Order: sequence, then structure tokens, then C-alpha cells
Amino acid sequence: MRPRTLAGRYARTAYLFLLPAILFFAAFFYLPIGNVVATSLRTGPQADQWAGLGNYTQALGDPAVRHSFLVTVAFAVAVVVGSIVLGLALAMALDQPLKGRVAFRVLLLVPYLTSVAIVGLLWRNILDPELGVLNRLLLAAGLPAQHWLNTSPLLTIAAVTLWQSVGYTMVLFLAGLQGIPETYHEAAKIDGADAWLRFWRITLPLLAPTTLFVSVMAVISGLQAFGQAYIITNGGPGDATDLSVFHIFNVAFRSRDFGYSSAQSVLLLIVIVAFTLVQLRAGRRGEVVY
Amino acid sequence: MSSHLSRRDLLRLAGAAAAVPVLSSCAGAPTQQSAAPGTFTVYWNAGHDYQAYRKVIAEFEQANKVKVNFQKYQWPDLRTRLLADFASGTVPDLVEEPGGWVQEFAVSGNARSLQDYVDRDGAAMGFPSDWQPVTVERNSYQGKVYGVQLHLTCNTLLYNKGMLSAAGLEAPTTWEEFLAAAKKLTKDGVYGVALNQDYTYVWPWLMQAGVTPYDPETGAIMEPVADAVAALQFQADLIHKHKVAPVPVSSTDYSGPQKLFSAKRAAMILTGPWDLEPIGKTSPDIDLGVAPPLKHKEQVTQAAGTSMLVPAKATRPDLSWDFIKRITAIEVEQAATKETGMLMPRVSWAELPEVQSNEATKVFAEALPTAKDSSQQVRLTGQFGKWEEQLKVMYQQVLIQNQPAAEALETFTKAAEGFLK
Repeated sequence: MRPRTLAGRYARTAYLFLLPAILFFAAFFYLPIGNVVATSLRTGPQADQWAGLGNYTQALGDPAVRHSFLVTVAFAVAVVVGSIVLGLALAMALDQPLKGRVAFRVLLLVPYLTSVAIVGLLWRNILDPELGVLNRLLLAAGLPAQHWLNTSPLLTIAAVTLWQSVGYTMVLFLAGLQGIPETYHEAAKIDGADAWLRFWRITLPLLAPTTLFVSVMAVISGLQAFGQAYIITNGGPGDATDLSVFHIFNVAFRSRDFGYSSAQSVLLLIVIVAFTLVQLRAGRRGEVVY
Repeated sequence: MSSHLSRRDLLRLAGAAAAVPVLSSCAGAPTQQSAAPGTFTVYWNAGHDYQAYRKVIAEFEQANKVKVNFQKYQWPDLRTRLLADFASGTVPDLVEEPGGWVQEFAVSGNARSLQDYVDRDGAAMGFPSDWQPVTVERNSYQGKVYGVQLHLTCNTLLYNKGMLSAAGLEAPTTWEEFLAAAKKLTKDGVYGVALNQDYTYVWPWLMQAGVTPYDPETGAIMEPVADAVAALQFQADLIHKHKVAPVPVSSTDYSGPQKLFSAKRAAMILTGPWDLEPIGKTSPDIDLGVAPPLKHKEQVTQAAGTSMLVPAKATRPDLSWDFIKRITAIEVEQAATKETGMLMPRVSWAELPEVQSNEATKVFAEALPTAKDSSQQVRLTGQFGKWEEQLKVMYQQVLIQNQPAAEALETFTKAAEGFLK
């Protein structure tokens, strides 16, 4: 039926343009999510026996799930804080009229464009205590050898994640910085505000939307991290880097319990959505308009 | 008159949106066929793509008028792919597995019994009479054969002859001699021994200590416990107390000790024949010695190696069986050993001139009759995956994180009791 109003025709056109995206998301996201929810209510190697909410109650009382969640939260916190602090620091440094700043920006962005598998293998080899390059350099410089993959494995994979992703957050902050009108800083300067005060009172508040976006994305990617544990540490030593998604993967593909792993996936989804909503609400409350 | 789409239009759009993925998923639904007609799909380990096997594949293709889709994976990726295939119903025709999966998938109903083929062709191909008994047992379930062993390997001691002779040492034969040798060899940036971060390397130690992993009749796990603790602690002490071995690093890579050995940073490693080729290639100047498994309470080692299975939903099991028959022929085993030094499961293989005349292969071959399966009783419970996960954590907590063996073993045992009951 042809809409009788102009607005109706516009709306129909809009929906038609949206249709491919809706179909794509339905086929590759919503349908699989529905399938995961259905599987989470079943048990057995073929996930063909009805379990009701049994997998969920088991997951909530499982110390391994709890441990892996705590490990993941610690990892995500490190990644979020590091992303914001380092990303902003780099963006501010490269927002200055430095020679070769474009090259620096590109160099910092390259790791983000590289696959996590490549990055993981690269750093695993660099950090290997016996055969890695880093210890050779440290020893050649007369410094003690590092054993970070054994002594601080979680912090190490968080640092590798930051190394990879900080270029992206830097670009976001750089865009945010360049969106702040210079007149605000000039006016503050005339009023006698020093650089530190201008940062706290102008730059940081006006970067709030960018900071919110960076923190939301970092929390989501931190809670969903997998490749770092899979490639660099295999979840070890012991279960020290048993990140949630890696744990879920092992429950599914090593222990072969698809129902239980699906229930854990759904719980993780709920946690991520909850974290995101809280962040968005808290972040929007703090937004400043000049 | 509405300014938006009418409810009917919205319903139409929503219906179309909902129908397409459903229809598309139906279109891609499993057809219960293992592969396109004319294509024979094989999942294989990436490290076992031997010329000897390529020749067999070419002959198989010609004889059966099919094209072999030879897909190579690392073990973890192969498992992920295979389990996804089982779930979807679209399975390969033949799978090489790293040991343990045959019984696991027989229990879960995902592997096909090969007993009818064994009954028909077994005598002619020498199965099971010419296969080491342990290889038949570990591939059987409820009296039926579900898989055929392709390689039979075991761990033993590899050492740098030059380093040992410079230190005035013979190859150690017992744990005590091994520790003494490791202490003497550790100097000038060289470790006496390098242990593996991979938990499966724990088994020779536990077996030599006389430990039974699991007794299904009594429910006992890792008993005698005192001997299991001693075996674990002995390994941890090599690293943390005696400092004759580096702290391993957790990863998916089990070649760490081999790399240290090849770099002449470790004088001894405990490993299998898969490390012979990389050592020979990367460090041809190393005078490699191979010694029999160490002795403690017993002189034994762990039976390892790969087998082949046919998924229950594979549609051309006759072809799969033909492939198995061809690739396990004694001539093929002979060619593969000559090419790579790999050990084979046939009893008659151990008598081949290629085996007897090769110093390294001969020692491995002589150790094979003492090789025991480490986890058959666990596999038959269907809880093998959970067992392995817990074992990995416990092993690394002791060896890497230096947690007291008794404490880590107690935690492991409690967890295992939970899922094995």
C-alpha cells in the first residue's frame, strides 16, 4: 500500500534502507543469540537434554566461573584505565605542532590494525624468558631478566592489549581535542588559568562524550577479550589468565558442554549490558555544555 | 491518516525480516552429507603432512575416483572444528585425532564403529594382531573397534651427547641419576634439563611413580597419593629448588624444551619422536643421544600418538575404511619412518631395518612395549575434557607457580571427584 503522506513515504524509504542491516543483524546476531539462549536450557555433549535453568544455577555457584569473572573484571579495569590515560596522554602529545606527528599517529595506529593472533604471537616470543628478545636486551644492558608471563601474567596480557588498542583510543581523543574551540583556552589564558587548570576545567569536561565512548568500548572489549588468553598464555599459568570468554570456549570445546557454556555466555551478555547501561547513565549525567 | 508506516506495512516488513534468516538458515541446514559427491574430506594434523601420505592420497584418489579435500589443523583448532561439525551434522569422512578422542566420541555417539570392517578385512591387513595391544585397547569401546592407530609414540630421554660426555656423565637411568646429572650439567647459561609447560608431559613421571590416574571401581583418583605428590614435587623441585630447569611458560606451544635443546641451552629433555626432526633440522651439529625411559618404581612411559576415526554421520564409511587400510599398510609406515623418524603402531614395524638401524628410532621402538595409556578409564566416563582442564591447571600451579604439590593435587582430586562421580 502506498503511504498517503510525505512523512509516511519518507518513513517507508527509511525502513527499506534499514532492511538489509536488519536482515544482516537478524541472521548473524539475533538468530544465533536466540539459539544460544535455547541451548543454555539444555545439557549433555549434544546439548539435547532439557536442563531448564540448571545451567544458570550451576554457573552462579561455580567457583571456576566466579574466578574467571573476577580475572576478567581485573583485566577490563586495567584496559579501561590504561586506554583512557594513555590514549588521552598520547592524543594531547600528538595534538601539538610536532614535526612528524602524522607519522607518529600512523605508527601508533598500526598495532590496532593488526590481528590479535599476530600481536599475541609477537609478544609471546618477545617476552619468552629464555629465548625472547626482551631479556636479551635487558641482560645486554646489565638489567635483570623479566619473567612477566609467569610473575604477572594478567597484567602482561593487559599491557599487550593496551599496546595494541591505544592507537585507536588516541585517534578518538585526538578527534575530541580538535573539536574543542581554541577560543575557550584563549579566554581562560587571558583570565590567568595555567595549563593544568585549563586541562581540568576545559579539556577534560569537554572530552566527556569521547571519554564515555572510549570507556564503554573498552569495557565491552575487555569483558569479551579472548585472543590474548588463547594465544599468549593459554589461560595460564594455572588459571591466572582464564578470561571469561576463554573459559566459556573451553567449557564448550574442551569439556564439550555446550549447554553450560551457552548459559555462561548469556550471563556474560547480561553483565556487559548492565555495565554499559550504568556507564552510559553515569557518563551522560557528567556531560558538560558550555 | 498516519504519518508513519501503517501497522500492516510494519508487519509485512517484520515478517519479511523474520522470514529471510529463517529461510536462509533452512537453506543452509545440515544435509547429513559428509561432503560434496566426488570429494572425500579428511581432517589431519598440520605436522603430519608427509610425502609418504601424499602418495597414498594420490593412489586413493585414482582408485576411488574422488578428490581428497585434505584439511590440516593444529589439534585445538581441529577439535573446535570437529565439535562444530558434530553439532551441525556436516562431518568429514575421516579424522586424525591426537589420542583419546576415539573413545570420547564413541561414548558420545559421534564416532562410527569400525568393527564390521575389522571383521571383514582385519585378518588380511593384520589388524589387530600386528598392532601393539595398547593401541587396540585405547581405540575400542564396549568390545568394538572405533578407531585405528596411525602413529604410536612415547616419551623418553633426549640428551646432548657432547655436553654429557664433557661433564663425564652417562645417560641417566633413574630419577636420582637424572637429578644428579641435571645438577652437574647446569652451568654457564645451560640448564641440565628443560621441562614442558604442557600438562600431558606429567604422565611418564606419574606412571614411573606407580600412580594410577583413575580407578572406576573404587573411584580412587591419582593413587597412591603420596607417590603422585612425590612425582609432581620432584618436577617442581627441578625448577624451583635445584634450579636445574627453567620455569616453563604457559602457552599452546609445546616446543619450548625442544627450542632450548636446539639452542644448546638445555642438555636434556623428555620428549617424543616429534622433536627428532626439528632438532635435526635446526641443530644438525648436536650429537643427539636417545635413552630409554627413566626408572623409578617402574620403567614405563606414556603411550601417545594419533589414531583415525570415522564420524558416525559420515556417509561413505566404505571409502573411509579404504583410506585407513591404505595409510596403515606396513610399506607406508616404513616410508613415513624413513622420511620423518615417526614411530608406528605395528609390531612388525619394530623389526624393520629402517628402525633397527637407526639409533634414535630403535630406542623409541624398544620403549613402546612399556608404554601405557594414561587416561583410558577417564575417557570412558565421558568427562575427559573436564579432567584435562583441571589437570592443566594443577600441573601449571605446581611446576610454574610453585604451589605445593600436595595442595594442588588435593584441589584437583576434589574437582575430579565432582565430575567423575
